[in-house]
Order: sequence, then C-alpha cells, then structure tokens
Amino acid sequence: MAKARAGLYGLVSRVFSDKPTAVLLKGLKDNEMIESLATMDVVFDEDFIAGDEEAQAEELAVAYARLFLAGGPHIAPYESVYIRGWSEDKPQLWGETTVAVAKFYEKVGLELKSGQVPDHLGLELEAMAVLAECEAARHASGDAAGAGLLEKLQSRFCQEHLIQWVPKICEEIEQQTESSFYRSMAALTAGLVQVHCGGEDIIIET
Amino acid sequence: MRMIKRRDFLKLGAASAAVIMIETQFGPLAKAAESLIEGGRSVNRTSGLPRSFLPSTCMQCPAGCGNIGYIEESRLVKIGGNTMHLSNKGTLCARGQAGINAIYDPDRLLTPLKRKGQRGSNNWEPISWEQAYDEVGTAMAAVKSRPGDFVYLTEDVDEESVGRRFTYAYGSPNTIGSSGIYDANKQVATKLTWGTAGDVPDVLHSKYILVFGANPLESNPQFVGMARRMIDGMQQNQAKLVVFDVRLTNTSTRANEAYYVNPGTYALVALAMANVIMQEGLHARGFIEQWTNVSPAQLAQSLAQYTPERAEAETGVSALVIRRIATEFASTSPATTITDSVLSSLGSGVQNERAAMLLNIITGNIDNKGGLCLPKQYALAEPAPVPAVPDPNLSLLTSQDVPQASTHQPTEKALQTIKERRQKVSVLFTHGVNPAYSNPDTASVEDVLLDETLIPYHVAVTPFMTETAALADIILPETTYLEDWNIEVRPSPELVPYVSLRQPVVPPLEGSVSFFDITRQLAARIGGGMEQYFAFKTVNEYLKARIADIPGLAKAGGLDYLLQHGVWYDPKTRPNYGSFGAGGFQTPSGKIEVSLPGLPVPELPSYEPVAAFRDMKEGEAVLTIFDTALQTDAKTGNCMWLDEILHDNPVWINKATAAKLGIKAGDTIKLTRSAKSGEAKERSVTSTAFLTEGIHPQVIAMANGTGHTVDAKFAHVAEGEKMKVDEITTNFLKDPNVELIWWKEKGGIGINAKQIVPVAPDPVGGGQIWGDVVVTVAKV
Repeated sequence: MAKARAGLYGLVSRVFSDKPTAVLLKGLKDNEMIESLATMDVVFDEDFIAGDEEAQAEELAVAYARLFLAGGPHIAPYESVYIRGWSEDKPQLWGETTVAVAKFYEKVGLELKSGQVPDHLGLELEAMAVLAECEAARHASGDAAGAGLLEKLQSRFCQEHLIQWVPKICEEIEQQTESSFYRSMAALTAGLVQVHCGGEDIIIET
Repeated sequence: MRMIKRRDFLKLGAASAAVIMIETQFGPLAKAAESLIEGGRSVNRTSGLPRSFLPSTCMQCPAGCGNIGYIEESRLVKIGGNTMHLSNKGTLCARGQAGINAIYDPDRLLTPLKRKGQRGSNNWEPISWEQAYDEVGTAMAAVKSRPGDFVYLTEDVDEESVGRRFTYAYGSPNTIGSSGIYDANKQVATKLTWGTAGDVPDVLHSKYILVFGANPLESNPQFVGMARRMIDGMQQNQAKLVVFDVRLTNTSTRANEAYYVNPGTYALVALAMANVIMQEGLHARGFIEQWTNVSPAQLAQSLAQYTPERAEAETGVSALVIRRIATEFASTSPATTITDSVLSSLGSGVQNERAAMLLNIITGNIDNKGGLCLPKQYALAEPAPVPAVPDPNLSLLTSQDVPQASTHQPTEKALQTIKERRQKVSVLFTHGVNPAYSNPDTASVEDVLLDETLIPYHVAVTPFMTETAALADIILPETTYLEDWNIEVRPSPELVPYVSLRQPVVPPLEGSVSFFDITRQLAARIGGGMEQYFAFKTVNEYLKARIADIPGLAKAGGLDYLLQHGVWYDPKTRPNYGSFGAGGFQTPSGKIEVSLPGLPVPELPSYEPVAAFRDMKEGEAVLTIFDTALQTDAKTGNCMWLDEILHDNPVWINKATAAKLGIKAGDTIKLTRSAKSGEAKERSVTSTAFLTEGIHPQVIAMANGTGHTVDAKFAHVAEGEKMKVDEITTNFLKDPNVELIWWKEKGGIGINAKQIVPVAPDPVGGGQIWGDVVVTVAKV
C-alpha cells in the first residue's frame, strides 16, 4: 500500500512540478495505466490518447505555463496563497503556512535546496511520495514501528496541509484549463488526497 | 461516495511509479527521511523565536534608502528603515515597506519562459535555465561580428554597472538608461551650469525655500531624505516655504504661501524675481563677479525684459507677490530653490531649470550651508579587467538624436530610432525597465517591440511579467532587489558621501537568478574573450573591487563592515561647503556658466512661452501627469499594499472648468490629444472626473503609476472578459488574490496617461518633454 501511495504521489508531484515530457506522456498512455486511472474515475480524452506525444508535450508546456507561470489568469500553486496565517491580510508566497510546511520537512529530515519554496504543490506532493517510499522500505526490512511512524507522519501532513487546499486548487485547475491532461491530473490529485486523508471517499474493499 | 478497491489502488500506484521511474530529473527533495526514526532534527517550538535581521538598500524608487529585512524562520516578515543610513535615517516609506509584496508576489516568475507562437500572443513554454542560457548565448554569439547591433535598455546605466560591463565586453556602446524619460534635462542643465550633474538643496539649514513645480514632500529623487530634512529645517529655522504649482500638492498644503501659475510659466516667475533682485540691488555682486562667467550689468540687462508686470499678465501671479517674494528670498540667508524633473520636462526644458538656478546664483546661495549644494557622492571603481569603451560609431543613437550638450541618451527616442531603421538591432535586452508602460506614446513602443524585422530577438530580464516582457522572445526571471547584491551610491542629502550595500535579506527564491550570475553564464557561452570580464569567483569579489578606491572604507572593514551595517560613511567627514573655492567649478571656465553659448537656445537663462498653450480653446486643457509617494513607474505594479491605496487615477479637473463643460463629479470623460505629423490618428484615454478647486482651471492632472495591463493579478482585472473576471471573483475557489480587489467596482485600476503623450525630446537636454500636451476634455 505504501509503495502504491509513493508511486501515485510521485506521479502527480512530477506532473505539477514541471512541464511534461513526451516520455512521461507515453508512460501515462500505457494501457495498464489508463485502466488503473479509470478506477479513480480519471479518464483521458480520446484525442489525447491518440495524439503524438512530442507535439503534445510542446502544447502542454504552454498549457502548464498558462496555468501556473504566465500568459493567463494563472494560478499560484502555493499553499500560502490559499491558506492565510492570522497575521496576513493578503495571500503571499512564504506565508505562515509555508513556515509550517518547512518545519514539517525539517522535522522529518527532508532537505530543501536554498531558496526552494516549501509549499509548492509539486513539492508537497513529492514530500508525501518520499515519506511513503521510506515507509515501504521499512516494511520491507521488517521495521513495523518505523513504518507506522512514517505512515502517521503522512496522514498528519495530509490532514494539516494537503486536504486544506489541494482539492480547492485542483478544482480551480479543472475550471481554468482547456487541457484534458491537466483536468484529469487535477481530478486524480484531488481524489488521491481525499482518499488518503479519509475524507468523503474511503477505500472499502480489501 | 466513491469506492476504490484496494487492489486497484495498488495497481495504479505501481503503474504510476513505473511512469516516473523513467523520468530521471525527478526528485528535488533530498531523500533524507531515513534519519527520522531518531526524531529528526530538533525544532524550536516556542513562538518566541529570535528574529534575525539584515541591512540592505531599498530599490523601490531612485532614492536608495537604507532598509532592514526582519527574518523569522527563514521568512521575511517585515521591512524597516536603517537608522544608520544617511539618506533616510531610519524612515522607510510605504513603497519600501511594501517590498515584501514584491518578493512574495504569488505571480512572481520563477522559471525562464520561451515564447510560443506569435510575439505578444502571451503563450509561453517553461524552459530550464541551462536551455535559456544556451539559447541566448548562442543567439548572441552568432551575431557577435556586429556587436553594435546589441542594445541594452536599463533603468540607470551607472547603477546597473554589471549590464554596462556586459554590453561593453560584448563590444556594443548601446547601453541606454532611462534618464531620458525622467530627469535628463535637469541633469544636463546643472552639469552645463556648474559642472556637476544634479543638485542637493540643503533644506535642513535653509531659512527660505522656494519651490517651482516640485513636490518634495511626496515625490523627489531623494524622497524620504529630502522630506525629513525639509520638515526638520522648517521646524528648526522657521524656514518659510513658498510653492508655485499648477495644482494643490502635499508640499503646497504645508507651505506658508502657495500660488497657482499658468501652465508652462514657472521660468517666467523665476526670471521676473531675478530681475527684481538685480534691479533692487539685492544681488550678491561679489559672488557673481568672482564665480560666474557674466557680469552683474550684463545679467541685469538681459533680465530687464522680464518685468513683474509682464509676469503677472502671463503667469497669473501678481506683480506685487513676485516683488515681495523676490525681496524676501534675496534678503533671507541662507535660501534655496527646489526643482525636480517637472520643471525641466515642460516648455523649453533645460532653460527652465537654468532660470530657477539663477535665483540661487545671483544671491550667492551656491554650495553654502542652507543653499543649493553640489551633490556629494563616492565614485565606484570598475573592477579589472576593464572592458574597453566600444567604438562610438556603433551607437544606436547618433549625433542626430543626442543633443551635442547632452550627456544623456534620449531613452524615449531609442525605440523610435530603431523604427526608423537607421541601425539594425540583432538582440535587445530589456532589464529593469518597462518602456511599453513608462515611455511616452506606448502604442508606438509596442509596435516596435512587436516587429520581428526590427528586433529579431528580445530578451527580457525581470522578476515579474510586465507590458514589455510580454513582448519578449525569452524571459529570464531575475531576483527581486531584496535578493540581490549591489553597491549603491547616491547624492547624499546630508552632503556627506556614503556607500550603501544591497545584499539578499533572504536567499533568492528558487528559479530566480541574479543579473550578475545571468551575465556570467551568458558571457561564458558567448565566449570570444568576453568571459574574462566575468571571471569573478564570487559576487563579493566583484563588490570588493567596486569599493576599493573609497578612502577610509578599507580601514573600517570594507565589505565586511557593509555586510554588517549596510552603509558606511566616514564619521569624521563634515559637509564640505564651498568646495568650489579650492579648484573652481568643474566647467571649462572653472566658473558657473550662467552664459552658455553654442546651444540651440538663448545664451542667457530665458523664457519662451509654450506655443501649444497660446491658442487654447474652450474645452482644451494642459495635461499634467504627477508622481505620488506610492507608485513608481516600473517597479511597484505588483505591490498589493500600494495598489490598495493607489489603484486608480481619476482626472483632476477644476470645478469651474467642469461646470463650463457640463462635467459632474464621477462622470466618464475622455481626453484626446490630436495627431501630430507622422501619426495616423489622435490618441485618447478615458477616465472619471475628480472635481476639485485644487487645480489650475486650464490644467487637468492624473497620477502616474496605475493602469498596468499585463502586470500581476491586479492588472488582470482590467482585461475584462478575456480574463474571465466575473468567474474569478464570483467563485470563491478562484485565486484568493483577486477576491481581495474591492476597488474593482469603485473605479477600477486606473489608466496609463503616458500613452497619449507624444515623443518629444528637449533640444538641449535630450530628455522627454512631458508637460506640453494639450488635450480636449469631453464628457463621454
């Protein structure tokens, strides 16, 4: 389970950290991937599946820029823009929330590069991926206590941070973009976070 | 409720992992989580974490005040003033404090962007810094055989010494600052007259302060330093403040006497006063004889035409007042005038400044305590190896464009010159400037920037999207001023020179790179010997070399002292009043050159009415664009706090004028400037009417610094339907920034009035004449 969570968080983290490459798109169109995504109600347009990945990567680079960087009413993909601290009258980068995220990383031993903004959507998702991967490694080595702690850290981070804003920004992404790819990925991310945090959607069957 | 089967989730997870496995660049977070079982690193959980702080230099306006960044948990939480700094002495204005909005602007550019599709279509592809360096480097290397075709537009050539170094090392002389749209005419007038560009009124010690068209309590190149000293001086010396302006200003409301003058006639007021002073024998005969290149008799004769009665008829200020104030000014010592670029960017520009300066000269209030003083400022060294000054024949602007006497390139004309195809451009850099917003006639600027045959490759270096960057081919996101290094020197308001350090108060946000590092990377890729000029191991090595020649600084600790204190001045130095006494003025004659032969204007200070104002019809008015203490031309557009205070610029219109034209408060009115020769059609802007008695009946005024169309979220509002504004604001899930723009319904974001001003360089100074625009005012 931890391994699967790591994989999924890793994927969405990658998608929201940078423009996609043709290789990434090709991988996503793998039959098994498409089948699996459908189980989370995530479906790509036929055009997307049929299209040439090189050309799509170029188009999606522009869509990515429009969404998150420049060229449209772009969305600033940072938690502090969505969740304001008590002293903040306006959304900003490096807000109080950002500090809380940075502290969490520090506590669990995740190191940031100088200047890296800790609460970027891609980075928060990546933190979950890394923790889940470590959890899987503990399980594999028979360290149940270590694995349990790592699992708790993930759900704490998910409760305190991801669930607070990721569904919101994903909904906004779905509304703002004309790209089927980003709509699907936003839906996947929102679903993942809701499932993981045990909100409305629950994994029932074993 | 959605149900997901465990095995499906596992399968999806495994498939996802497989997808990202093949992506090698994944993983910016170091996987150090293995150490966590021991409890991770200890974290101070108490809320009383000490705040660390770092002194630096503000760049929100040209004043260069000393600021201090307060940092809590690696986050900049507040910016304050540096009490040790000679310019602002601890005070920091709203702009300086709002710098926190600039560094943490949610819309900051943190990835290099490459244009996709047509230029100006605003479609971008994010690219890596390596790719960006390679593309720009390759493009510049390919055309290096024609180095003069490289053009670098920046705000201040001296401040941006790295950019000048880069341009010179490439072999191009075309590093063009923005003084042409700001204070070039004043700089040239002072340089020609007393050999040094600029002036510093020693207002702390003045007993009489005479202001022509300036508004030093709200806007001045030394803003806080000047305003503080002026207020202190008025308290301590009971100095009298007299203001002549076309509108009620923050300064005139605090004046002992304030007068409206007819538009464009400041110089006539000054010359009539000078005439009175000469006629009444109140002039400093000895000073004029010893230190100027004219005789009192010669001056008196040339001034005789400017009688107070003539002045009354043309300026609207009564002859009695002119006589009285002239007498008071000449018989109160020390006294000074204050002028800024407003005076010298209307009518006959340089001549106006000379007229005001003449009052100081004939009363001997020159470089004395309380008078008009020569600027005192350290010169910085150019670190070795120094790139040779490129062949001036490669200049974009030739002698046809730059007036002979001017030391300033007319920025406003640079792009026009490109349009006239007198010189080809291979690569254009815009750095820290936004001509598509700041220059006159922005539509023609846009035309040039959009035309790929004129400018084949445009590189914009900026922390934020701007009107100009939107027309670039590649955008390099540089650090904000709060994350960058530089040595800053300015004329000291205290008249004791100082050195100020700009250092990063927090590490640069990832994805932004300082201009220093950008030029190093590009120089390495362009090669051909260029890289040798950028072979500094660190930026500190470069900065140390910049301050190497400043006497006394090395002994005090050099750069280390600056890193700790932010500013250094020699504590033993006192203002060196009368410094000209030792070696004369830095002019050819060694004297103040009141008479300047060989210029395309009269030799002696003179007044020439503005032709366009002579035959104004009913419904026409003179447009004045004024600066405020809140927005600067190109730097503050994304500062939320400032936008909240100043976001709109309704048209100031006199109540009586409005009544004649049937305009009521809040009416939408249109200002139209008729087409000049060479222009296809007239230019107009539309705004709302603000009725006031605080403006001359023939003048209408609009604030500068609002009405951005491309910049930040605040500008998106202006784009109306295109940006789906209603959706944004009605849906709470949308960008939380936009939700907060309460002023959308109350007048919007203003309009950029500069767009209707035609390009018009002064024939002597080369600086833009902003003030000569007559517009037709009409209710829409």
